Amino acid sequence: MDVKGRNFTRFLERRKLYENQHDTGAENRQHAKGKLTAWERIDILFDEDTFEEIDAYVTPDKSDTGFGKVQQAYGDGVIIGHGLIRGRLTFAYAQDFTVMGGSLGTVHAAKIMKIQDMAQKMGAPMIGLIDSGGARIQEGVASLAGYAGIFYRNVQSSGVIPQISVIMGPAAGGAVYSPSITDFVFMTNQTSYMFVTGPNVVKEVLNEDVTFNDLGGAGIHSKKSGVAHMVYEDEENTLLGVRQLLSYLPSNNMENPPEMEISEDETPDIEEKLRDIVPDDPNKPYDVKDVINLIIDKRSFLEISENYAQNIVVGFGRLDGKVIGIVANQPKTLAGTLDIDSSNKGARFIRFCDAFNVPLLILEDVPGFLPGIDQEHNGIIRHGAKMLYAFADSTVPRITVILRKSYGGAYCVMNSKNLGGDFNFAWPTAEIAVMGPEGAVAILYRKELAASEDPATMKKELAARYRNEIANPYVADERGFIDEVIDPAETRMKLIRSYEALETKFMNNPARKHGNIPL
Amino acid sequence: MKIKSILIANRGEIAIRIIRTAQKMGIRSYVIKTAKEPNAWYLDEADEVIDFTESIDSNIPEFLDIERIIDHAKKHKVDAIHPGYGFLAENPDFARRCEEEKIIFIGPSPDAIYRMGHKTIAKELARKHTVPLLGGSKGAVADAEEARTIASEIGYPVILKAAAGGGGRGMRIVGKEKDIERMFNLATKEAEKAFNNPDVFIEKYVREPRHIEFQILADKHGNLVHLGERECSVQRKHQKLLEESPSPALDEELRSRMGTAALKIARSVNYYSAGTVEFLMDEDNNFYFMEMNTRIQVEHPVTEMVTGIDLIEQMIRIAEGKTLPFTQDEIKLNGWAIEWRINAEDVQSGFSPSLGTIEKISWPENEHIRVDTGVRDGSVITPYYDSMIAKLIIHAEDREKALQQSTIAIRKFWIKGTKTTLAFCRAVLQNRNFRKGRFNTSFIGKELKIFYQHEADEEMLAAFFAAYDYAREIHEHEDKPLYTEKGKEIAPWVLNKRLR
Amino acid sequence: MARVAKKKKSTRLIALSASNKAYEFRKPLEKRVKYQGKTVDIKLREAPHGFTYIVWKNKKYMLDVIEKNQNRYTIMINGVWHSFTVETPISLKRRRFLEKQRETSSTVAVEAPMPGKIVEILVEEGSEVKEGEPIIILEAMKMQNEIASHASGVVKSIGVKQNDVVMKDDLLIEIQKG
Repeated sequence: MDVKGRNFTRFLERRKLYENQHDTGAENRQHAKGKLTAWERIDILFDEDTFEEIDAYVTPDKSDTGFGKVQQAYGDGVIIGHGLIRGRLTFAYAQDFTVMGGSLGTVHAAKIMKIQDMAQKMGAPMIGLIDSGGARIQEGVASLAGYAGIFYRNVQSSGVIPQISVIMGPAAGGAVYSPSITDFVFMTNQTSYMFVTGPNVVKEVLNEDVTFNDLGGAGIHSKKSGVAHMVYEDEENTLLGVRQLLSYLPSNNMENPPEMEISEDETPDIEEKLRDIVPDDPNKPYDVKDVINLIIDKRSFLEISENYAQNIVVGFGRLDGKVIGIVANQPKTLAGTLDIDSSNKGARFIRFCDAFNVPLLILEDVPGFLPGIDQEHNGIIRHGAKMLYAFADSTVPRITVILRKSYGGAYCVMNSKNLGGDFNFAWPTAEIAVMGPEGAVAILYRKELAASEDPATMKKELAARYRNEIANPYVADERGFIDEVIDPAETRMKLIRSYEALETKFMNNPARKHGNIPL
Repeated sequence: MKIKSILIANRGEIAIRIIRTAQKMGIRSYVIKTAKEPNAWYLDEADEVIDFTESIDSNIPEFLDIERIIDHAKKHKVDAIHPGYGFLAENPDFARRCEEEKIIFIGPSPDAIYRMGHKTIAKELARKHTVPLLGGSKGAVADAEEARTIASEIGYPVILKAAAGGGGRGMRIVGKEKDIERMFNLATKEAEKAFNNPDVFIEKYVREPRHIEFQILADKHGNLVHLGERECSVQRKHQKLLEESPSPALDEELRSRMGTAALKIARSVNYYSAGTVEFLMDEDNNFYFMEMNTRIQVEHPVTEMVTGIDLIEQMIRIAEGKTLPFTQDEIKLNGWAIEWRINAEDVQSGFSPSLGTIEKISWPENEHIRVDTGVRDGSVITPYYDSMIAKLIIHAEDREKALQQSTIAIRKFWIKGTKTTLAFCRAVLQNRNFRKGRFNTSFIGKELKIFYQHEADEEMLAAFFAAYDYAREIHEHEDKPLYTEKGKEIAPWVLNKRLR
Repeated sequence: MARVAKKKKSTRLIALSASNKAYEFRKPLEKRVKYQGKTVDIKLREAPHGFTYIVWKNKKYMLDVIEKNQNRYTIMINGVWHSFTVETPISLKRRRFLEKQRETSSTVAVEAPMPGKIVEILVEEGSEVKEGEPIIILEAMKMQNEIASHASGVVKSIGVKQNDVVMKDDLLIEIQKG
């Protein structure tokens, strides 16, 4: 560099040192595990040539705790900076497993906090690419303090900017709580793990053998624990998935989600098909995703937590180019009943949508809460209440379409009119009542049935009468609990107009610090 | 008595097949609508639909619910019931209940169904009428020990068959003594499950036989004819995959001998209606009576194509008490017919069922092609019933031409939505020994090395399509512009109140 | 800021078949396609009756995506299906590595090949099995199907009970290779 005699020596030296720090051996070791390096990940995540690194030259804390010196490296094992994702400002940190195993020391943590603060100041999404061995033991309590600082900022940013955690390697101990506070957790199959206590400790304390994957792999967290929202086969697709998710989200809670122009071939083709999708037989399952895909813009559905609590389907979609959040009962799984897991999954999604101005669409086919000792003992009451609370507390436009069953308490919970639903529609196939026909007549006609010579036939006839007279959408329609019974084929048009009408919705909720959701 | 209305106690292609003949004969057709297939095609083709979708306390499947079917037949005052194949077609109780309720059962007498359905009685009858038989147990085998004893007497391999079975269900071949106990238990369990009767008998198993069956027609006045044979040797686990008529293995002399034997069997139970007598035939053209099916068969179209006789029409006429309009001498086999069964099965993973919706189905049409199907665009292949999509029947002057026409028709038979056996059909057509007519029931297990045929570049083209679709999807997500400006211009009315 | 050698985003896509055959295409995949260095003429067409087909060397090939999950594809062509994963050069490298790792792993999972009901479990935990030996009887489509082990070894765990209803790909049994 031609510096015309001015003293740039130190500047150039440092740059050289930084460049020399690049360790091909470490890079190869990372590749040999099927993983990418932090820089490669950033390259995929951000639009080409838009990422700007900051704090590249910080060095680890030099104080010696007596447990060995910390390796002196520029950057301290984490890259922070900002760039563009599909043209929008986004902040990110990426832990670098090749530097001290990505372990979190004081300086490492300070860098993450710095970028978190910036993201919140600027009102832009914050993405963490996590690949870390955990707290840096040599630095002792200082590294723990670092974790706490990160958690604090995660909480402060919650509901202000979208926060996404991408687990691309191990995340153990304290490291798991930052992702769990953030809005979405992405994992990569086979090369990412999350657990509070690792297999070694489990072995020591409980004498149980378990592998990394079985304890906290992507499969477990996407199917059983519900910790991971999105799982992909490889890192590249994981990062592309983050880009895809961001295309549905606003940059902060003051903005509306981005819009997209839709072309002719993106409107679903055969809406008449919707008339046949719900079977006549109330006990016959169908896939509610077929309904979703025939209502929203073609190929626009992005399902969240696809494999967890499959009796409820949640995800983002576009309706005429505008983003909506969809919550739908899934008759294909557990007949679409609500249970603990599905209530939690639904409630968290609703809260996210409300915080970030994503209007809600509820597609309802729910026979009730899942009965069972297990459910009751584990607290379906308080968990079910979360979903109810989440709906009632949300101020975004919310529209319900009752496809088929809507019984009892579950009717109330699924964004009913009196829970604040803005528009409540029903298809002609809807059955709205306090309970299902068979159950209802058994109570209403208990004596008569007991006295009857042929109780089975009598029950059948009564149930048929009940279905005909009570369990239909028309009673509710006539009393105003349903705004309109609509032709399934017209659902899309109806929804587009209704959301347009709701664009300027606001609600004067009472002033308070915050409500007290039944956690 | 002239039949004016028929209740078809069946579904799918055979329901439609029966409706077609009923229409031709000016008969009103009634079908049953079930909750499992409320939008099935056959419902639209019939004159009347009887609704069985209402759930009732009984857990008997709709097409097996004798009393419910009889009830509705009486309520709608139908003259006759056609059971099709499967379900109640070979249930003597059902035929008897029809008789009791003065509904014409379009099929043989309850007694004939019973005796032919009971394998041991059927064998006894065959023995009495000097029709050749295979060695085996005299009746149902009591337990695994007895099975072991009998099996060692007649020598391995042996086959275990459900006494009440048919169509390959409840059959197990045992090659070695060590397997006999496990296989016996399996066969018993399966028989119990499938036919409500755990009885199983043992028989000597002929290695690599041909499976030849004869179509019989007989009226109520003692007139019997056979309509030639069907070659059904191309089977997998006793499930037929294609059938042809005539068989490349038979000559006039053998045909006449086997036909005579078949008629003997039919005569032994005073048979009337359409029926099928099945034989096994070994390498030296020795044939053995296996069983008689007392119903219309899935593969009946090949016989119809070569004889020009509408078998369903004949069944109805016989049920009305009419005499057969032809004698044996007047039956001529004209040309060659092959039926290809196109099922929703995954040939590439052991013919496992491939459920789903047939989004699109289309086939070419010409004078060689007949397609019997109960499936149209949007039809659903459910787990409740068999996996048949369609039967493609090719008729031509001779076998060579029939095979040629098959190749063309199969290539143009397009189905979108599920996996199908079409590629299997192509693989069979490619096989030299099949083309030469040299095959037997071991054809699929031994001769056919690959169950699906594909051309050199197909995998590359499929790979291209996968990459194309992937690229398109990424492109769709990535390259479409996002409009964030509008999201930022929010009416102050809203924005000021967003903060709480 | 200073940073390490920047890579250009790749324009190659590789469709990897189940038998590990790699078909490499260069984007964009329109009209004239670059296939493993050569330009080839693949014409993708939509037939009016809803079928998609490719014209290749003057022949029509009917095509359909029958299963798709992220980058995993099952494509039906002329009635035969082929499975692929669509990979970029980077993800291909990772897949190759993980495959190598899996080969050395010692347990094999037997999964339900189709939805159905477990009629009988023929083995117990700890029993020795041979490859091809029937281990479970699964009833589907009115047929009892024997599910065979695809490895020899010892039964490590059984994931189902008699009369359980299983979905396709549900884990039935894990076998410790030996």
